[in-house]
Amino acid sequence: MDNKELKKKIRECNRCGFCQDVCPTYRYTKNEAAVARGRVRLARLISEGKYKWGEEDEITEHIKTCLLCRACVVNCPSSVITDEIMMKAREEINFAKGFNLFHKLLYRGFLSHQERLKVAGMLARFYDRSGARWIVRNSGVLNTFRKLKNMENILPMGLKPPLRSQLPEILKQVNKPKFRIGYFAGCATNTFFSDIGKAALLYLQHRGCQVEVPEIQCCGGPHKSAGDMEEAKRLAKENIVTFLKGDYDYIISDCATCGSTLKEYEELFKNDLQMKEKAQQFSEKILDLNKFIADYLPPDEDLKALDKKVTYHDPCHLVRGLEVTAEPRELLKRIPGVEFREMREADWCCGGAGSYCFTQQEMSAKILEGKIDNFIETGAEILATSCPACTMQLSAGLRKKSVKAKVKHPVQLLAESVGLV
Amino acid sequence: MLDKHLLVKLKSIVGKEDILTSKISREVYAYDSSPFIHEPEAVVFPETTAEVAEILKLSEAYSIPVVPRGAGTCLSGGAVSLYGGISLVLTKMDKILDIDTVNETALVETGVTNLNLQKAVEPLGFMFAPDPASQKAATIGGNVAECAGGIRGVKYGVTKDHVLGLEVVLPGGEIVTTGALASGYGFIPDLTGIFSGSEGTFGIITKILVKLTVMPETMRTMMAVFDSLDKAGEAVSAIIAKGIVPTTLEIMDKSMIRAVDDFLKLGFPRDAEAVLLLEVDGYEVEIDRQVDVIEEIFREKKASSVQSAKDRTEREKLWLARRSGNGALGRIKPAYMVQDITVPRHRLPQMLRFVSDISKKYDITIAQMAHAGDGNLHPHLLYDPDDPEEFERVEEASHEIFETALKMDGTLTGEHGIGLEKLPFMKLQFSEKDISFMKRVKKALDTNLNLNKGKVLEL
Repeated sequence: MDNKELKKKIRECNRCGFCQDVCPTYRYTKNEAAVARGRVRLARLISEGKYKWGEEDEITEHIKTCLLCRACVVNCPSSVITDEIMMKAREEINFAKGFNLFHKLLYRGFLSHQERLKVAGMLARFYDRSGARWIVRNSGVLNTFRKLKNMENILPMGLKPPLRSQLPEILKQVNKPKFRIGYFAGCATNTFFSDIGKAALLYLQHRGCQVEVPEIQCCGGPHKSAGDMEEAKRLAKENIVTFLKGDYDYIISDCATCGSTLKEYEELFKNDLQMKEKAQQFSEKILDLNKFIADYLPPDEDLKALDKKVTYHDPCHLVRGLEVTAEPRELLKRIPGVEFREMREADWCCGGAGSYCFTQQEMSAKILEGKIDNFIETGAEILATSCPACTMQLSAGLRKKSVKAKVKHPVQLLAESVGLV
Repeated sequence: MLDKHLLVKLKSIVGKEDILTSKISREVYAYDSSPFIHEPEAVVFPETTAEVAEILKLSEAYSIPVVPRGAGTCLSGGAVSLYGGISLVLTKMDKILDIDTVNETALVETGVTNLNLQKAVEPLGFMFAPDPASQKAATIGGNVAECAGGIRGVKYGVTKDHVLGLEVVLPGGEIVTTGALASGYGFIPDLTGIFSGSEGTFGIITKILVKLTVMPETMRTMMAVFDSLDKAGEAVSAIIAKGIVPTTLEIMDKSMIRAVDDFLKLGFPRDAEAVLLLEVDGYEVEIDRQVDVIEEIFREKKASSVQSAKDRTEREKLWLARRSGNGALGRIKPAYMVQDITVPRHRLPQMLRFVSDISKKYDITIAQMAHAGDGNLHPHLLYDPDDPEEFERVEEASHEIFETALKMDGTLTGEHGIGLEKLPFMKLQFSEKDISFMKRVKKALDTNLNLNKGKVLEL
């Protein structure tokens, strides 16, 4: 989006205020600067020359506290693309001020490099399992660094070895496969939630799919959200090349963020003559795991009873990104014995929003608390969702409120039901 | 900027979390949903009536103008701070204090949104009848202050018909109650009524006792397509003349239909010149007969198609489409001036036609919709703020529309308020004596003229 287009998009907001009803950050601040109408107004003042990107810390702050959850976008009568305006704004701010240290360390430092991520994952696992975590938590050392403590709290418990290291045991040849699947095992699934990936791979094979798990680069979603389009494109190119080589029927992801980011590669390269066609081919093959199982495979006849009360949280990137919302519920309801209970505001952001839970801790915690309260109200014992970032955030929320419930991907329950895990 | 001592005092009243004074904060409280933009000097969020009272005491002591504000969805500039001062944002007073199904009332704080009240009473079989299009955001306090209407207005009336009592903080900080909230129930002049539609110029409404309405047993929603606005308007007059009082009768013109269809993808007839959305409600037994009569009228007036909503979801989508009209116009042009002139119902077709002619005469886009059942028109005059020449034409057209509506025995505003927008036209509608009486009432309540200064009346 160039500046002229940006200005045009910004001016489509005629300030009706409908976004107030659906914006999580507005709900908890009641501050006009923390809702789409206000944020877009500030962007407009800059586009009209009254202020400059990066020069007003307060504007920068309000641009950064947007969750990019897109609730305003889908509810806006003029369909103002506030999320894209915010990403563009962040890009401009980065351009004016340079990347901040957090971004350099986490995004360009780790997420852009799979080998470093692997080391980080090993360290995190060592920290979690060796007893170091117990010592650190009980020593009180974290209390001096409140922000660090909050971050530590979000880090998942009981980390397993990365998915990639388990692949030799998981992957097998399938006789007369119905589909050839390229599985996009994203950074978070691989490093923190290998159980989800394992369940997905085993289940897909069980249903007659031949699955491969190519080496990937980060999908670039976090970079995009932070306004680092250059790096996002670099990563995207590598992924496109890798997966097109495999000539798969479909490319499937269990992660809402990866899935929606991969689907948007087409848009990312729409002005790049060299990449445009390839990106299009790639994006056409992207499917969310729930959708693939629900719509592309016949109903599973091996499902055994699983007596559980289950509810479902819609990840933003799935409900408003890939527009997948009925399918995961459908899968859960298919499992005999499962009592599905709909949660109030199931499609509201949980406040995880990628690294938002680290960078905007206070706001994130408030939004999370509301989400957990809604979960408690359902009386369910399993909170199903389809995004590792949501899983991390929701699990931390349950721990904080000492709620004895588990967060699981629907595919984990399917795999459990047929006795694969 | 406000005086330092005053700021310290304000902080001691509401706490430092509930006051904003930075340049950027003032920018985002400078607007509402109208084209007017004026910055306050401080934005204050009281959380209790007592805090509001303390703030109004300070306003008197320091002669600081105060502009009450709810969600900031006013269409006539009522919530912008023309003279700086304090923007008093009441959205943190958002508790529903009581719902009484026996007496069919609800007691709410001023900042409860219309939609949240609807959601709270709906499971109990009730509704709050006023349902302005902005109900997702707009607050009950704001609804009362502007005397908001809504799409159910034809049958159920406007906000003032559903307010039983108020708690109001008067300029100077005195807290009073009126109507059924007050102990002196027997005082006959309608003091509650004075504050309905007072646009925040008489006092700050802090609590409202509203009347709830029992949800009708059944509803039937229909959409008829016409090849001209006139014919749709004639159908409206004919339906009313038959003694049928629909819940809603809404007209949308072609540009409006297209804009909302772009948003909701409902498959609206994009080439239709006019669509009439109609709903009747009541007991099952009476509805069928009404629907028969209405369909007959649609045939007579040559509707090109008539459809009924199949289920609740379809019905809700139709009304969401209607409510999204204002907002969706951003797709066509970045700004609009919307009027809410009201004419006697039999004049509706004539007025709709006149507005269409005006649009051609001044070469501007006017998207029309109307609460046709009340003769309340909403011509949206679209413009680009970067084109001053076009804006001038919009202003001239606007003027002519006001004048014509008044000539047809209509009024300047049905529900959006006078605010800043219609202030220059007050003289057209009211005599000097009438305006002078209004001024005396205003001065009796707000002697030092600190409340929403510069709105409604020129003082």
